[in-house]
Amino acid sequence: MIARIAYAFREMWASFRRNLTLTAAAILTSAIALLLVGTTLLIQRAFENLLVQWKGDVAMIVFVRSDATPEQIALIDESIRSAPTIINVDKLEYLDKTQTYEEAKRIFAGDPVTLSLLTPENIPSEFKVVPLTQDPALVRSLSEQYRSLPGVEDVALAEDEFQVISTLSRFVRTVTLVMSLVLLVVAVGLIWNTIRTAMFARRREIEVMKLVGATNWFIRVPFMLEGLLQGLIGAVLSCGGLWALNSAWTGGVAGFKPGTGISSLVVPSGYLSAVMVVILLIGAFAGAIGSAIAASRFLDV
Amino acid sequence: MIRLENVTKRYGSETVAVRDASFDVAKGDFVFLVGPSGSGKSTILRLINRQERPERGDVWVAGQNVNDLPDSRVPFLRRNMGNVFQDYKLLTGKTVFENIAFALEVIGKPRHVIARQVPIVLELVGLAGKEDRFPNQLSGGEQQRVSIARAFVNRPLILLADEPTGNLDPATGEGIMSLLDEINQTGTTVVMATHDHRVVNAMRRRVIQLDRGVIVRDQERGVYE
Repeated sequence: MIARIAYAFREMWASFRRNLTLTAAAILTSAIALLLVGTTLLIQRAFENLLVQWKGDVAMIVFVRSDATPEQIALIDESIRSAPTIINVDKLEYLDKTQTYEEAKRIFAGDPVTLSLLTPENIPSEFKVVPLTQDPALVRSLSEQYRSLPGVEDVALAEDEFQVISTLSRFVRTVTLVMSLVLLVVAVGLIWNTIRTAMFARRREIEVMKLVGATNWFIRVPFMLEGLLQGLIGAVLSCGGLWALNSAWTGGVAGFKPGTGISSLVVPSGYLSAVMVVILLIGAFAGAIGSAIAASRFLDV
Repeated sequence: MIRLENVTKRYGSETVAVRDASFDVAKGDFVFLVGPSGSGKSTILRLINRQERPERGDVWVAGQNVNDLPDSRVPFLRRNMGNVFQDYKLLTGKTVFENIAFALEVIGKPRHVIARQVPIVLELVGLAGKEDRFPNQLSGGEQQRVSIARAFVNRPLILLADEPTGNLDPATGEGIMSLLDEINQTGTTVVMATHDHRVVNAMRRRVIQLDRGVIVRDQERGVYE
């Protein structure tokens, strides 16, 4: 068993070094593709920070003063529920101070100064309102009505704040996703091609191996390892790029004026690590797939 | 050891390589397959080691029906057979030792077995002391000896040889034949395809003659004609 494993790694390494140019091309392509995949994930998460309040068709948020009495809160709840033809009452959601504070942590992820001013005590609680109507004017007039209720601090409308960004985020996400998928396919293709070339260069050897009774898996494994290694190296490179990109971005965002919303567009480092793990897995997987296809396809030499 | 029953093999729809061939080879036999180029000798060898599958009929090797064997078992069938070719099929980038060791390595034999077996078989084929040479530093006869060593190092039940003397001068060919004879003496069944009259007539072994895919003669202690 040990002899077999040693053999597989020795062969992988020899073949890896033999086709340096092709190998480099395959690695670079997978690095770029994976960098794009990672960037897509990060952008998505950054926009999600910004849009976290507005998830699920929420079009209006009624902020309740932190010192509002339970009676005042009940009154606000009742007034919102009094218009069941305009408001989707089933989806009405009330976030208490603790929940709102959790949300704020994401919104102000890149703005620690603002975040430090907030505590679970002084933060407003909030009602999230999903309208039934498609008419923005109706929602707007309703918001004016709520604003005058006792205990209401402010009413925010999605239309005013985040419609544009949410459209933009969807667009950016689609474009980067499509691009990264295309590049990923190209990367798999290039890995496939390097493995095919490697196998062609060694077809005599493979023929002899088959004649003396080597199993197909025995022949295939070093080639698959080679592809896996290519994908993995590409992934490591792209992780480095992703880290550099994210550091530069987080640093740049700090320079923006607070309250413009840009400061929400950063990701916590825990999420970045998770993305890197995903990237490494995708890289290894894509490499193994590309080489496995090549190895099966060209084993009948 | 080897049995063909009414085996027919065609390449494409026109060319009949082997037509309705039947014969039996007992354990320890030495058999020549003779006939002109294209008469189906090589095809029969390729049917025995399952490089080809017959269109009709059955091929039995060591009690196993080779046609029924799933692809995943074919490598294990081949571990019972050594193959020797006219063009040796040695790996030019490997030394003599490595070429022979390769056959053991790829079937997962541990190093200490390889280190013990390879020198023994090198001694047997008369190449002791040349283990570090590369194939292109050897004569044709020596290269064929390396290829025989590679085929025999695993002590197979059967040795299949396809024109092993085809590229060699008569004297060298004789040497190869006495080596194959020696291997046959150890109990290994040898099937050799050839159109070399001299070696067939000198050896006086069983001869199966083919003509355009059909067995026209099967004779104990035969000659080429």
